[in-house]
Amino acid sequence: MTDMQTSAQHKQRSLKGLIADYSAIFAFLILFIVAVILKGSTFISVSNIMNILMNNSIIGIISLGMTLVIITAGIDLAVGSQMAATGLIAMTILNATQNIFLAIVAAVFAGLVFGAITGGLISKFGVPAFIVTLGTMQIYRSVSEYCFDGGGVLATGRSASAFTAIANTKLFGVIPMPMIYWLALCLLISVIARRTAFGRYVYAIGSNKRASFLSTINVNRVLLLVYALSGVLVALASIIEASRLGSMNSASSGSGYEMDAIAAVVIGGTSMAGGRGTILGTVFGTLTLGIINNLMNLLGVPSFLVGAIKGVIIIGALLIQRSVSKEES
Amino acid sequence: MTDVVKMRQIEKAFGANAVLKRVDFTLEAGSIHALLGENGTGKTTLMNILTGVYTKDQGDIEIDGAPATPASQQQIAFIHQELSLVNDLAVYENLYLGHELKHYGGLRRREMIATAQAFVDRIGIELDVTAMVRDLNASYKQITEIVRALMRDAKVIIMDEPTTSLTDVEINDVFKMMRSLRDQGVSLIFISHKLNEVLEICDTYTIMRDGVVVSSGQVTPELTEVQLSNQMVGKELAYSEIYQPRPLGKPVLTLKGLTKAREFQNVDLVVHRGEIIGVTGLLGDGRSELFSAVVGATAFDAGQVLVNERPVRIKTTADIKRYGIAYLPKNRKENGIVPDLNIEENLALPILGRLSRGGLINRGQLTATVQRYVKQINIKVADVKDVIGSLSGGNQQKVLLAKALCTDPSVVILDNPTQGVDVGAKAEIYHQIMDLAKTGISFVILTSEIAELQQLCDRVYVMTHGEVRAELPHGDINERDIMLVATGGQLD
Ligand SMILES: Nc1ncnc2c1ncn2[C@@H]1O[C@H](COP(=O)(O)OP(=O)(O)OP(=O)(O)O)[C@@H](O)[C@H]1O
Ligand SMILES: [Mg+2]
Repeated sequence: MTDMQTSAQHKQRSLKGLIADYSAIFAFLILFIVAVILKGSTFISVSNIMNILMNNSIIGIISLGMTLVIITAGIDLAVGSQMAATGLIAMTILNATQNIFLAIVAAVFAGLVFGAITGGLISKFGVPAFIVTLGTMQIYRSVSEYCFDGGGVLATGRSASAFTAIANTKLFGVIPMPMIYWLALCLLISVIARRTAFGRYVYAIGSNKRASFLSTINVNRVLLLVYALSGVLVALASIIEASRLGSMNSASSGSGYEMDAIAAVVIGGTSMAGGRGTILGTVFGTLTLGIINNLMNLLGVPSFLVGAIKGVIIIGALLIQRSVSKEES
Repeated sequence: MTDVVKMRQIEKAFGANAVLKRVDFTLEAGSIHALLGENGTGKTTLMNILTGVYTKDQGDIEIDGAPATPASQQQIAFIHQELSLVNDLAVYENLYLGHELKHYGGLRRREMIATAQAFVDRIGIELDVTAMVRDLNASYKQITEIVRALMRDAKVIIMDEPTTSLTDVEINDVFKMMRSLRDQGVSLIFISHKLNEVLEICDTYTIMRDGVVVSSGQVTPELTEVQLSNQMVGKELAYSEIYQPRPLGKPVLTLKGLTKAREFQNVDLVVHRGEIIGVTGLLGDGRSELFSAVVGATAFDAGQVLVNERPVRIKTTADIKRYGIAYLPKNRKENGIVPDLNIEENLALPILGRLSRGGLINRGQLTATVQRYVKQINIKVADVKDVIGSLSGGNQQKVLLAKALCTDPSVVILDNPTQGVDVGAKAEIYHQIMDLAKTGISFVILTSEIAELQQLCDRVYVMTHGEVRAELPHGDINERDIMLVATGGQLD
């Protein structure tokens, strides 16, 4: 091999490394450009962009907790039904007491307990996360449907309008509040992941659980806290969803959200094997999914086909990521 | 004799870190060749280049007289120090992993077993290929790795520190196999920091220092360990007596009748303040299992653990910090290294909480703590924010040693602490341990290296099949007695 070839190969490698590290941002940018080309002014309009951000803030918040869960090499399939359950708890308490604060506290507390139960089963009894949450997913959904007879709850009474204002207000008349909540939580979770001992333990456990355990990390407690934190984030997302729609439905609310959240995390570059991933990546993963949905909508793709196209794009994004990162290592 | 491998003027840099500088390396057919050098001098990197794992920046490689191609590089088997066997599969399944014999998609199990068994029998190894790898002892795991290389028809085998987790008896099994391979015309490259082994098994050697080859030649009967190590470090290693008698305090860690079915029975043991004790034995002595139970990594059936003469209940590893105990487990890849964290986070992992202010890790304090250890035990590192995998094997081990020490412990339990550490660094680490012991810190050293026991320990417990069979004071630590007890004999 000549010198020139060698150095060219080196440059190529580092470019690939860059793409691997920021693959979510690249995917996002490419889609963004495609969207601009296809639907120029409609897509790039302030109202459409705000629309995308607003519509994805709920999945965005759920996928923050999901990121931490997946970094521990776990998974949480129950977030969708957990969201319906906590949302219904919030609405019921709101209607009964007309106290918004109480409704939020109750939902957050319920989310914490749901998450802690999941985390406890996984850490203490060593049941695989996939199995535990496959079970809890069905339990929360089915119990919710039973309690509300498959129907939902509408916000009623004098506090209803104040409650719906939580998610339907716009900062300076342009920026929807859910986006602000999402942004704030992104910053918070990102700091937790990168700057706190707990956050580093999350990565350590996903990377080498046995070594973490032998390094005197309380692995069971960290796992329990991760799922509890995810539960709290889901509860916060459920408040925003309930406020936005003014209602919560036991059968349909949050259905399928777990898949969107997992997809956002994985497109964001987090490894399903654990140990690797960033909040920034997940944010761009969420936005990528959001643009896909929005673009299909704008292009008038038949709604039954949207899923198929989304699926193809998700798998494609992952294959590119995978091939790049394999060459790196 | 012909040369099977000829590497000329090899250069390699990782970023700004120039690791190999015009390295020449020649391997003669049918020989066992030692590749020697201090930690981080570039031995593993050179072998990674030879096998095509890393690309070289400069130089050329000839294999069997022809310029190296990816195909010919794949013919070289590289047995890494960390084994890559799948524990939950049988030996033959591991041997065929990725190269299974198939018939319309179905596995030809019977044929694979027969072929593998015939192969193993032919090279004269007693090994049942249907045994599960999990049930093999360390030397047979190592041998399985070698057999796997041979089944791919490897003419050259690289063994990177294959003996660090083996005891003397097991090492002999591996050596026997290496000699028989050499006699059948296979060439072997043997990387090790145990120079006595090098003199015993190798025909030729190459010594590197700071990425440069400083000498190479034949292993003659006149060659000594001291000559080799002097060339490795580039100066006369000043030999100084490490062991110093010290006044000892009260018992800090006491085990009373500790028992776990099939692992250890009725173990009584005591460690005093400032004392260094050793625990040794052969394969299956149960010493690692014993201390893994003491630190709460596994449970025990009966008995008592006392800290400062008070009974304690250690239910999980997280509890030992409270009692001032620190633990370094053996097998650094499985039990120690967290590959996705950087060097400083790996080192300070147990104390990240303590280094936090207002919930956030104090990065300045973290770096300061880490730098202190980097200096103290001489860890060769370009940037502490690099991933841990960028360190050489011996330097990773030093990070893990620092990880045990950084918790400010009063009792430190070290299992195979100098695994893969070079001769000079070992002496430095021993001096550090002795200095810490003088300040009142106690050590429990689990090792099968007699020299390590002799240089450090006030007392040594010898274990056999999970039982303590003898307790030797410092003056009586010698290979003959330890081997006698370890193999089931009685001291007179
Ligand atoms: N993947 C990598 N990225 C960056 N630096 C590396 C990488 N691999 C090795 N190095 C650096 O190259 C140098 C040589 O490392 P190498 O692993 O070859 O040492 P070694 O001679 O095998 O030492 P040891 O006896 O400790 O195993 C070290 O300074 C190490 O930090
Ligand atoms: Mg090495």
